[in-house]
Amino acid sequence: MTDVSPPKQDAAAHWRRRVGWLADHFRAEWQLYVMLAPMIIWFAVFLYKPMYGLQIAFKDYSVFRGIAASPWVGFEHFETLFSNPQFLRAIKNTIVISTLSLIFGFPVPILLALMFNEILNEVYKRTAQTIVYLPHFISTVIIAGIVITAFSPSAGIVNTVLGWFGIDSIYFLIKPEWFRPIFIGSGIWQEAGFSSIVFLAAIAGVNPSLYESAVVDGASRWQMAWKITIPVIMPTIIIMLIIRIGNLMEVGFELIILLYQPATYQTADVINTFIYRQGLQSGQYDLAAAAGFFNAVVAFVLVMIANSLSKRYSRTSLW
Amino acid sequence: MATVVLQGVYKRFGAVEVVHGIDLEVSENEFVVLVGPSGCGKSTTLRMIAGLEEISEGSLSIDGRVMNRVAPKDRDVAMVFQNYALYPHLNVADNIAFGLRIRKVPKAEIVRSIREIAEVLGLVDYLDRRPADLSGGQRQRVAMGRAIVRHPKVFLFDEPLSNLDAKLRTQMRAEVHRLHNRLAVTSIYVTHDQVEAMTLADRIVVMKDGRIEQIGAPMDLFVNPRNTFVAGFIGSPPMNQFRGTLEIGADGQAVTLGNSRIAVPASVPKCPGREVVLGIRPEHVVTAPTGNSSPVRVALDLVEPLGSDALLHATLAGEPFVVKVDTHGTIGHLAGISEVHVPTEAVKVFDAGTGRVLHRAGPRPENGSD
Repeated sequence: MTDVSPPKQDAAAHWRRRVGWLADHFRAEWQLYVMLAPMIIWFAVFLYKPMYGLQIAFKDYSVFRGIAASPWVGFEHFETLFSNPQFLRAIKNTIVISTLSLIFGFPVPILLALMFNEILNEVYKRTAQTIVYLPHFISTVIIAGIVITAFSPSAGIVNTVLGWFGIDSIYFLIKPEWFRPIFIGSGIWQEAGFSSIVFLAAIAGVNPSLYESAVVDGASRWQMAWKITIPVIMPTIIIMLIIRIGNLMEVGFELIILLYQPATYQTADVINTFIYRQGLQSGQYDLAAAAGFFNAVVAFVLVMIANSLSKRYSRTSLW
Repeated sequence: MATVVLQGVYKRFGAVEVVHGIDLEVSENEFVVLVGPSGCGKSTTLRMIAGLEEISEGSLSIDGRVMNRVAPKDRDVAMVFQNYALYPHLNVADNIAFGLRIRKVPKAEIVRSIREIAEVLGLVDYLDRRPADLSGGQRQRVAMGRAIVRHPKVFLFDEPLSNLDAKLRTQMRAEVHRLHNRLAVTSIYVTHDQVEAMTLADRIVVMKDGRIEQIGAPMDLFVNPRNTFVAGFIGSPPMNQFRGTLEIGADGQAVTLGNSRIAVPASVPKCPGREVVLGIRPEHVVTAPTGNSSPVRVALDLVEPLGSDALLHATLAGEPFVVKVDTHGTIGHLAGISEVHVPTEAVKVFDAGTGRVLHRAGPRPENGSD
């Protein structure tokens, strides 16, 4: 017969030691824990606590019965969603808009950062940076107002310019084929400058002697940007790409809601706007929760794949 | 192989002048070391030679051609940086080949050159590794490989060994020396470490506050420092320096420090009453009287054994006085020392006001110049 008590005692002692260590650490470094607390509380209240409500995706939820008392219905809402052509269209639009945003939007901040890095005149550099950062600080509602005004068929600047070339006014915002370019373009205009800060910081961290060594070797500025700057900041680029892929399903739906209309649903309606309409406007919280849950699972899978691919091929990863 | 000539070279950053008119001639295949404390302008001078800093005034010629306005890549120099400056995303082979690829050297030749350099530097087994996977010494070898592979006319080294630990530094120092003997390329080497300067250089250039204090062969600087700064900088431990007044007695000129009267060499011009600085090298002081020496009473407060030698830390006339003596395998007898002897010919005398030496001593090395 084997005696199992010593390992149990060991395990208990082990845990006592760990708890004791944690208590000591807390006493010694309590200031750090205090600084950490707001973020943990924020996560707990706004991200973890709502997860409890996620179960309504599998329930026939009624506001009056509450979450716990509503009956389980299994995957019924998912079946409903996947048999709904509007939801399938929303998935397709989400993927198309996200992918196009990634392809056209992701490289722009990197290019901007590289260009800023080449500007030698400090005053010119700061002015240019302020101009491209500015749209980030403008509220989405105002951005939408600017976009609507700019593309207005009567007095919009775009149609005015087209008019100079003898082109008839185009009703951009009611034409489905124009929604995506306008949405993606305005997104780039709003965020590219601000997003370039991360890459500028990464470029500032490149060891200056790498450039000096390259200058002595005879490299041109173009070769230095291409052969030194970009490869050296590649880990930052990859981390930002992973984060971006993780948010692929989170299309900036506020701007979509402000810009789209039934005429452009065909290309503009994404999962988040679908959830908004189903959940808040039609009151189908359980169906909206199921759509949101699907969205989150896809995003999770995407970020896991991106991270492991990055780890394997570039030795850079988020975890 | 090339000569490097700097004539009246100045460097100004805005209104601040950091290099004040340097004149230096480096001969073909010569190994010249610029040495001095931080901020003395040695790295700036090197960077002006490389073309990384513009020359504010004066001229730089390499092989007779004025290079002030020539781009760094066209100067045919290669530089080894303090922090190696290796490209972290490239492996050893690609790091070495970087300069050749930029210059569009044929692929076959690049492969052959990498192989050759890797063999010279013992890097054959590491060609596929990235810099992060190498030790400090290996990284430094790669940095040197990258410089050598281009077969430049001039090598520039900017404190290449200062990031290495003491043991590795000694090893790499010997490697740099061997490499120079093998390649025989004109080299200019910047360091703040006088031991590196002494061991590597054909000639040493001692700099301070943007000016050259003295140029000469290592032993010439050691034996005949031009001023108190060079005397204190070259040699380890540094030369002991005491302020005093020259006086004439029956036995010639001497300086009284505390209760001791230290005779100075006959080559010191006679000028009683002159304020001077006496310089005494720690290794020249002996514990037993010699033919022509001055006994000095000292208050010993510490004995530092170094193995074959020991440093005796004492006080003379209120100033610290370090003496380096042979231990002969034991230090027990050293603790009781209360008197040491300073050989007269080993004493250097400097003017207390200008710091300049008042006499020359010892045989002048053949290749020395100042």
